[in-house]
Amino acid sequence: MGSEKESYLIVDINSHQTKAVFIERTGDGYGVEGTSETPTTVDPPELDVTIGVEKAVRGLGQKLGRELWVSGKPSGAHRLLCSSSTSGGIYMNVAGLIRNISTESAQRAALGAGALLQDVFSYNDPQPRFRMIERMRSLRPEIFLLAGGTDGGAEAQVLNMAGLIEEADVKPRFGDGYKLPVVYAGNVDIREEVSKVLTEDRYATRAVDNVRPLIETENLGPAREGIYDSYMEHVIVHSPGYDKLVEWVEGKIIPTQAAIGKILYAYAQERGVNLLAVDVGGATTDVYSVYDGVFNRSLNADIGLTYGISNIMKEAGIENIMRWMPGDISERKVRNIVGNIMALQPESLSDEERMVQQSAVREAIRLGLEQHKNYATRLKGVRLLRDLGMMFEQALEPSILNLMKTQVVIGRGSIFNDPENLKIASLLLLDALQPWGLTEIYVDISSIMPHTGMLLDSNREAALQILSKACLRKLGTCVAVKGKAEEGVEALTVSMSTSGGVSVEETVAYGELKTLPLGAGESAKIVVNPTKRFDVGVGRGRSLDAKVTGGEHGVIIDARGRPFGTPIKKEALSVWAESLKPRPVAPATKT
Amino acid sequence: MNVSRFGVKLEDETLIRKVRRIPTQGEVFVTVGDAVDAETVIASSTVRNPEAEEVKVFTKLGVEPDQTERYMLKKEGDQVAKDEVIAISRAFFGRFTKTCRSPIDGFIEVFAKSAGRVIVRGNPIPVEVKAHIPGKIAEVIPEEGAVVETRGALVNGVFGVGGEARGELAFAVDQPGEALTTEVMGAGHKGKILVGGSVVTLEALRKAAEMDLNGIVTGGVDQRDLTDFLGHEIGLGLTGEEKVGLTLIITEGFGVHPMRDETFRLLKSHEGEPASIDGTTQIRQRILRPEIVIPLQG
Repeated sequence: MGSEKESYLIVDINSHQTKAVFIERTGDGYGVEGTSETPTTVDPPELDVTIGVEKAVRGLGQKLGRELWVSGKPSGAHRLLCSSSTSGGIYMNVAGLIRNISTESAQRAALGAGALLQDVFSYNDPQPRFRMIERMRSLRPEIFLLAGGTDGGAEAQVLNMAGLIEEADVKPRFGDGYKLPVVYAGNVDIREEVSKVLTEDRYATRAVDNVRPLIETENLGPAREGIYDSYMEHVIVHSPGYDKLVEWVEGKIIPTQAAIGKILYAYAQERGVNLLAVDVGGATTDVYSVYDGVFNRSLNADIGLTYGISNIMKEAGIENIMRWMPGDISERKVRNIVGNIMALQPESLSDEERMVQQSAVREAIRLGLEQHKNYATRLKGVRLLRDLGMMFEQALEPSILNLMKTQVVIGRGSIFNDPENLKIASLLLLDALQPWGLTEIYVDISSIMPHTGMLLDSNREAALQILSKACLRKLGTCVAVKGKAEEGVEALTVSMSTSGGVSVEETVAYGELKTLPLGAGESAKIVVNPTKRFDVGVGRGRSLDAKVTGGEHGVIIDARGRPFGTPIKKEALSVWAESLKPRPVAPATKT
Repeated sequence: MNVSRFGVKLEDETLIRKVRRIPTQGEVFVTVGDAVDAETVIASSTVRNPEAEEVKVFTKLGVEPDQTERYMLKKEGDQVAKDEVIAISRAFFGRFTKTCRSPIDGFIEVFAKSAGRVIVRGNPIPVEVKAHIPGKIAEVIPEEGAVVETRGALVNGVFGVGGEARGELAFAVDQPGEALTTEVMGAGHKGKILVGGSVVTLEALRKAAEMDLNGIVTGGVDQRDLTDFLGHEIGLGLTGEEKVGLTLIITEGFGVHPMRDETFRLLKSHEGEPASIDGTTQIRQRILRPEIVIPLQG
């Protein structure tokens, strides 16, 4: 039994699929022994989430030749962990005192915990109180997060906001007869007073440490844990079948987005890198980032590649979709394809339809990144000590996102699993995110990122091993330069020497994208010499000497400048895509 | 495109149950077993008007907030018309007068004495729900509505705009591959549900709205034309509230798509019969497709 418990059965339940993964120690490491997925059964006609869980687990057992399901429930021989997101996230409202200070911190805590934010309220909101009450009444959240005041600071204003929730008589999403879960993460000195306003008969209030104990300090962990606890105790149990599931699983069931956030944060910390990850689903686009150890998540609800694709066209504009389309295709045709992807939920796409989707994904990510910049900000309200030198640093920008210091970019979502899309996945991510300097590019190839996130607390080593071995596929390392010149003017020269003794040299002109072949698992030393107008992240005209690792697309040299728009000549789009295709090793010499 | 056509039905004859309920509690006018026609009102009530204005009475009168009460002419619950005086202050025997008027038609919802403010809310909005399809009441939902049951043909489209509409099924084309253009539309189509073939043009949509056609069912519509007709981009697959003068249902998809033979034949076999259509579409969870119901005659 003891050794059996070294194995994990991990289930992630999203709105469409229930996916079970079996993880076990093999030899000196952990590996994914099998996966199985079935449609989720939380909606009619089944109305019981455990039916889908049973099918997925039984299917996995059959594949592995093991009895994973015994007497109507999981066998109990393996540790069962579970994440869930059957409605795109936890429907949450957030309230605080000052919009840019406590409310913003509360907002970050909620999003980090996997929230789908319905609205945000502040004491200093310019709209009249009765409008806020009306809005609150109309929303029906699953959880309300209330913050405000530093510890020992503002009291009356925080109680005023608690009073606002009370006055609005906010009803929980899952039914009028239940208590509304409220997580209070404000001034710790007035917890009792808050609980007197939000009375026990109508509110399930949970007090946690302040998200902003000092004006200079943000502390989001306890609020996130409080949200998970409220989600587990007061929200998830109201979904059909979850009462049984809760009994079977070890620990908490946490939102899928939170599990993804946890593993991405752990991965960035483990490697000591800044990371930017995008998760483009059918209906939503999530962006996760870790910069200098600070984690952020944002969600662009209703921006996605099937149900949400028309909304991409609405938000980004048809011209922005069209700009990524190579060749001659009319606007009307693109519009019809977008409409049909939205309305018909296709199971497969033609080449032309795939191209439209590839164009849309670039815009979905671009929109997601724009929104993310507003969430991933330095703490506001903090006095900054600035000297003359700092005046010119990007560190003083409101957003902490720094695309020059992004060492890892990850793409996630079904578009990155499609073998046809995978051929140009690097290009999709580069076009949309436009990192510069040196950046490794990965995609989640197996869709088991939430499972690794669930495993993290139980077995960090296994979770990170599985993430690297079975989940992330490295597409390559990109070296991108900033600068502008006439098309065709030399931007840089690059030389690469592999550990196997192969040397390659290339000259890359402005506007070009070239690849140097370097396979997955291989490493090489590169020297990049930009011309004086270009900067590879170390200053204009200064050379970069670095060790890089390869991937399916090798080392990508991106000399399109930053930021870059789409080229005037549409043919360049096809040339860029072609340049990612594997090619014979260029003239090589043994050193 | 290999499509799933999830949630799309095509039934020659089936039992159709429609839940008809108002969005609030109110009065239900039917009982189980009642025969109803499409226009029968099942239930009605009123809902709170979202239009509300806050009025700072004390600033209009130039008095301290907590002094406002003595100047009020209206109290909570009183009806007020737009520009009607709700508070007045007089000084020097009426020679200097200041008034506060209602910004909208409605009633005084709240008078905050200490704050010297008033909230005027628009009058409640009446709501009612009709049977939409003729049939029998199978179940009553107390204070909310009822379930209407009938036998008939049921056809789902893949996308629609506009809400519920009713009318006689008429055909503008002979073949499912023909386009529905202004040339094939005539005055005789007024008030009807017009079935076309492969596509409906923008001009035909505009003409249909002008001539009070109740609905159009066709294989496809150009997404650009529909956008122009609606006057805004279609964002999410969540429709039904559009006020464009008619209901449009497409059975195959955006672009030019001949209506499937079986759909065309089924609709054709009911030409001249009354139909109830609904363009409401919801694509995502708990998918809802637009529908055409043709109750069995006799």
